Formats: sequence, C-alpha cells, structure tokens
Amino acid sequence: MRIVIIHTLRFVLFLFAQALLFNQLEIGFGIQAMIYPLFILLLPYNINIFLSMLIAFALGFGIDSISNTYGLHASAAVLLAYLRPIIFKSFEPRDGYEDTQEMNFYEMPTSWLLSVFGLMLLIHHFWFFTLELFKFNEVGFILQKTILSAPISLIVCILIQIVFIRKPSTSR
Amino acid sequence: MRNLIAFFKRFRVFLVFAVLQGLALSTYFTYLNFPRAQYLTSASIVNGHILTVKNDLTKHFNLSYNNYKLQKENIALRKRLPQSFIPIQSNVFKIDDTLFHQQYEYIAATVINSTFDKRNNYFTLNIGSSQGIKRGMGVFSDKGIVGVVHNVSEHFSVVKSVLTEAINIDVMIESSGAFGLLKWDGGNPKIGSISGISNDMKIKKWSKIVTRGGSGIFPRGLQVGIVSSFKPVEAKPLWDISFYYSEDYRKIQRVYVVKNLLKYEQKELESLIPPDKEE
Repeated sequence: MRIVIIHTLRFVLFLFAQALLFNQLEIGFGIQAMIYPLFILLLPYNINIFLSMLIAFALGFGIDSISNTYGLHASAAVLLAYLRPIIFKSFEPRDGYEDTQEMNFYEMPTSWLLSVFGLMLLIHHFWFFTLELFKFNEVGFILQKTILSAPISLIVCILIQIVFIRKPSTSR
Repeated sequence: MRNLIAFFKRFRVFLVFAVLQGLALSTYFTYLNFPRAQYLTSASIVNGHILTVKNDLTKHFNLSYNNYKLQKENIALRKRLPQSFIPIQSNVFKIDDTLFHQQYEYIAATVINSTFDKRNNYFTLNIGSSQGIKRGMGVFSDKGIVGVVHNVSEHFSVVKSVLTEAINIDVMIESSGAFGLLKWDGGNPKIGSISGISNDMKIKKWSKIVTRGGSGIFPRGLQVGIVSSFKPVEAKPLWDISFYYSEDYRKIQRVYVVKNLLKYEQKELESLIPPDKEE
C-alpha cells in the first residue's frame, strides 16, 4: 500500500514539474530537459508491464495536454515503459535484482546507473525529437537535439535522486 | 483459432504497446492538421486554470519591460487622438464620418503559456469564446504579428504561432509589394522565411515586411520583420528569403486579437470565383 501512495504522489509531482517547470525552461540550441522518464524508470522492478505502460501513457498524456504537444510525450513514455524490462534484463548484474527495491542512485552501482539510464534517455529523446520534427532533411537537427538534451536530462535525473530520495540505512 | 489465440497470447505485450502508440500518434498527427481533440489541449478548463495560476506567478518577471512597451504604445496612440490635432480647416476635419467604415476591431489578451523551441509552437491566451474569440482570427502584438487562433474553449484559446511549420500567412515586402507566404524552418525563433516570391523581383536587404491583408485575418500593413538574407531556390524561379521577426517571441505577453467585421462579406464574394479545373 505504501508503495502505491508513494508512486501516486510521484506521478503528480513529476507531471507538474515536467509540464510547468522543465518544459518552460528554454536553454537554447534545441536543448529540452525531460525528467518524467525517471518516474517510469523508478517504478518497482517487478511491476506488470501492462500496468507500467498504462501509467506511462497517462503521465505522457497529462504532460501533453498542459504543454500542447498532443500525444508526443505519451508516445515516447509508452515506448520507454515497453523497453524498460528488456533493457533491465540485458543489463542484469551477476546476482540479479533480487535485493533491490528500486533502481535508484543508492541501490545500484554508478556504472549500471549511467549506462542504463543513459541508454533509455537516449532512446526516449531520439524517439521524441524524431516524431516532433518528422522530416528526413532535419536528421541533423534531430541528432543535435538528442545528443545535447540526453546528457542534461541524465544529470538532472541523477541530481533529483540525490536530493529527493532518502539514503537507505546501512544497517539493513 | 487456437493458433490465433496463441499468437495473441504470445504478442500481447507488443499488441498493447502498439495500441497505446497508435492512440498517442493518431492524436498527435490529427491535432497538427485539425484540432479535434479539444478536451486534451491547454484550452480546456482544467489546464487553462493551471496555466492561469502559473502565469499569475511568472507574469511579474517582465513587468517593467511590459509597462514600458505599453506606455510607448499609448504615446503613439495618444498622438492620433483628435485632441492632439489642430483643425486647420474646420469644415474638412471630422472625427466621426461616413467615409470610413470600421473594418477591424481588436480584443486585448494576455499570453499565459508559450513555447518557442519546439517544432510547432502554440501560445495559450486568457480569453475565449465568451469574449468573442473564434477560430481563424489573427493575433498580433505591438511589435509584430503573432499567429492565428487555432482552438477555442469558453475562457481560453490556443494560438498557432508564426513559429509553426505550416502557418502560411500572406505577407509582402513593403517597398516593392511582392508577396509570398510566411513559413518557419524550425530552430531559430528569431528568423522566419518567405516562400513564393518570384526571383525576377528586386529585393533589398533590410527592407520591411508587412502583412498583406489578403485573407482578411490581419489588416494590411502590420509589421512582421525585416529581410536579413535571400538566395535563389535551386531549380525554381523563386527567392528563398529569410527575415528577422520584429517581435521577440521568447518574452511575449500582451497581444491583440483581430476581429474582422467584413470577413464574412469578403469570403462570400471570394467563394463566387469558379474553382480551377484540375488538368
């Protein structure tokens, strides 16, 4: 029960933080920081994939309806939720995810975090910007946006985890 | 039959994924052309109120600049008031005459949400159908044109800004009268482009671009920008003209919506033109 409440609260916070804060930040060079992928990545490891895709869809649509993008974020979020178990599986550490409660900064090794989160964010951003521009002759601009935005999103996502997620007590 | 069920069972994750993707993408691509999904936009009541609260928080950031702009515009308008004229020939000067019939009315509005770094940028205004806004009305600020109303709810409206791919507002170069369609290539929110001007026209750098007023959305002669560069399009007898917008869309707040009182009359007349036969 506790976990449901936590994730519901996070859902609302991520929705409004993305739509009202991060979508309004206009840094230039086509950079757009996106933090809501972090919410999808932080869902429990063994969550039903249908449920996670539906949650991702709802989150994406909420962001879309506030920032007038009509389905772009929803599409990218659903893709992320779909690929999540596949990528987690392929990056599984030797002793599996048995002990981990949540794939966050404190529970996982940094190299795992950087590679998995980085890869997921790259895929997500590439999909998003491809759909947004949707033209062959703008491939350069799509790549520019993806390559510049993904590292910034990754840094912001890690900072959010450091600041907001409580460090688990070492006695456990 | 059993095979079919087995197939669905095997690919059920992918099928749900495909259905959700289809739903999201169809909304996206239909909206680009036709705003059917009205309840999903920032013109809807709930999102409109959220954005109003956000705007209440952020509107003061540019307050002094906006006040300055309004003041300047007030001075320009005050100059035209009858009180600031001296009638030279009292029998000629008349304020309220029948020679001029009012064609355009303006409704003031505030931009409560805007973007400029997406491929298609939409602005949300704080007025809607209850203030007389309709789809297809033009929107401009004191420095230049802003866009065309795309979607209206009772108290809010969404404007398709000039920072959109297929905005197609008819503009002309003030000095020569050559006209074309305004486009935006994406990327830089300061630079737009004009297509459709034939390359035997002479164009000077830094010449002013204004609206043509052909389609009745904007009055003639509203500022749009100044020509920054032009080069011929390959394999076509056309210029590819880029220009600097005169308005800075990154900090736009106060705008006016154009209400054309004679639009219906113009449309009715123009609908009498026989359509071109396809050959």
